[in-house]
Amino acid sequence: MNLRALPLVLGFLPVSPIAAQVPRYLGGDLGISWPQFQSASPGGGAKLSGLVAGGRLRVDLRPVSFELSYSQGRLAADTGGAPARDIVEGSLFLTARPLPWLALKAGPHLRAYAAPGGTERWVLWEGRAHADAPIIEGQWLAYGEVWVAVASSVNVSSGASGARGAEAGLTLKLPQSPKLLQSPLWVRLAYVVDQARLKNNAGTESLQSVVLAIGLGGR
Amino acid sequence: MKRAALAFALVILTGAAAGAVRAQTPTDQVARGIRAYRDLEYDSASAILGAALAQPSSALADSDRVRGLVYLGASALYRERRDSAATLFGRLLRIDPRYHIDQLVFPPEITGLFQQMKLITRAVAVVVPPVTELHSPGDALSIWLYATTFHPVDVAVLRPNGAPLRTLYQGGVGDSLQLRWDGRAADGNPPDSGRYVLQVNSRGGDGRVVRSAMLSLDLTRVRRDTLLLPAPVPNSLLKPEQAPGGSGLRALATGLVAAVAVTVLPSLVAGRSSASADRFVVAGGLSVAGILGLRAQRRAQPIPENIAANRALQLAWQHQADSVHAENVARRQEVRILIRAGTSRVVEAP
Repeated sequence: MNLRALPLVLGFLPVSPIAAQVPRYLGGDLGISWPQFQSASPGGGAKLSGLVAGGRLRVDLRPVSFELSYSQGRLAADTGGAPARDIVEGSLFLTARPLPWLALKAGPHLRAYAAPGGTERWVLWEGRAHADAPIIEGQWLAYGEVWVAVASSVNVSSGASGARGAEAGLTLKLPQSPKLLQSPLWVRLAYVVDQARLKNNAGTESLQSVVLAIGLGGR
Repeated sequence: MKRAALAFALVILTGAAAGAVRAQTPTDQVARGIRAYRDLEYDSASAILGAALAQPSSALADSDRVRGLVYLGASALYRERRDSAATLFGRLLRIDPRYHIDQLVFPPEITGLFQQMKLITRAVAVVVPPVTELHSPGDALSIWLYATTFHPVDVAVLRPNGAPLRTLYQGGVGDSLQLRWDGRAADGNPPDSGRYVLQVNSRGGDGRVVRSAMLSLDLTRVRRDTLLLPAPVPNSLLKPEQAPGGSGLRALATGLVAAVAVTVLPSLVAGRSSASADRFVVAGGLSVAGILGLRAQRRAQPIPENIAANRALQLAWQHQADSVHAENVARRQEVRILIRAGTSRVVEAP
């Protein structure tokens, strides 16, 4: 684990009182994604893709909120003889919203690739910045999120060097009333990409996904 | 000379005495007649009381008239004029059917004759409150009937033109009877304002009306004023419900920038890894959203907060208006009737 980045994670916490204007809510979504895994190493690489199902749960305890996610699926080789593997991911982020359009998150992100030859486990302590930009006020929302692993570890001999990622997408609120636009349902379409690096240039692992989810409550 | 002076003095005294007599009121005469009766001067009492009672009815109060009649009747009986006494007692009972002769003052032969006349004289006294206001459903004018003797009566309220408005009672009445009138006609509707007559017909043994007690009732319908409806919410208090459409460029820019970000994210994050073409689905979605956002933003935008605020104002006004309307309906249906009773009079049947 890279402890040098721990102050950065803790640095997200003091901004939480500014987020008092965010309404209290409970929200979450369920969806599927189509991930594409790609590894590169001096000895070669592999490309796999598959289907993953997952969901998120958000609990707003004003001035902070917690965001829990879990997903699970299976990846199969697109080309070559790479063995198929299961992918399981989970994360728990503490979120503060210093500005109405900006949220800062911090927390652990776990990812495991379970293959016949063994399971590769990543533990990433991430700091994330999330920005919202309305396309149609109260209805359509574009958002972007970037993150960096401030501490990382993997059960591979070369060790983890770090990770970073980004997500961009669109949430569409389903209108209930043509005037008041109050509906608890919304749809999310997003593209997610991240890359984890091994030490000593031993290789990289990147994962890209298109996510389609339907949500309820706060976005 | 002395005789002339004496004659002059007599003339003066006689004239003064005559003037004193002329100055007496009928009430004084009744009192004087009663004193004469008590002095056993029945002839003198009869003359004085007869003169007093011969005055017009307006000159003598009913109470004095009744008092004079009973002493005049008693004097007549003592003068062995029984028929006259009976007639006088009958006349008394028609004026005051409730009259009770004082058995401590008059001997049994007089009270006996009086009671006999009371048994055969059919008359009713009508007593109502001078002013009655009816405003609740259970309110009614209280009418008390006091009869000289048991006999059949019919009680009705007559219109100003004499036509019956409402029959209140038909049947016998003994000592007394209380009736109630709710101030309405036979059909249940309140009559117009005007002077009505409460008529109590006393019937004889043959069923014919022997006399009627009449009492005027001045009836006034009082309506409560209705309330004004609250003024509609002025436009100055209403907030605009739509914001004018903008250029929409911000929505378009947001969508396109996000689309570009999705397109370039793989190279920024994953470097040399091959980018997934799937991301173009998301980029396309963001682009389309931006374009649709551009169109949507050009249209006038509803302002939910203002719409809700205006609706709350309108609902509050509507609530007030409904309350006022309900109150006015109640006030229109509410009929207050003011009844002022006149004096009772007895009309003998022809």
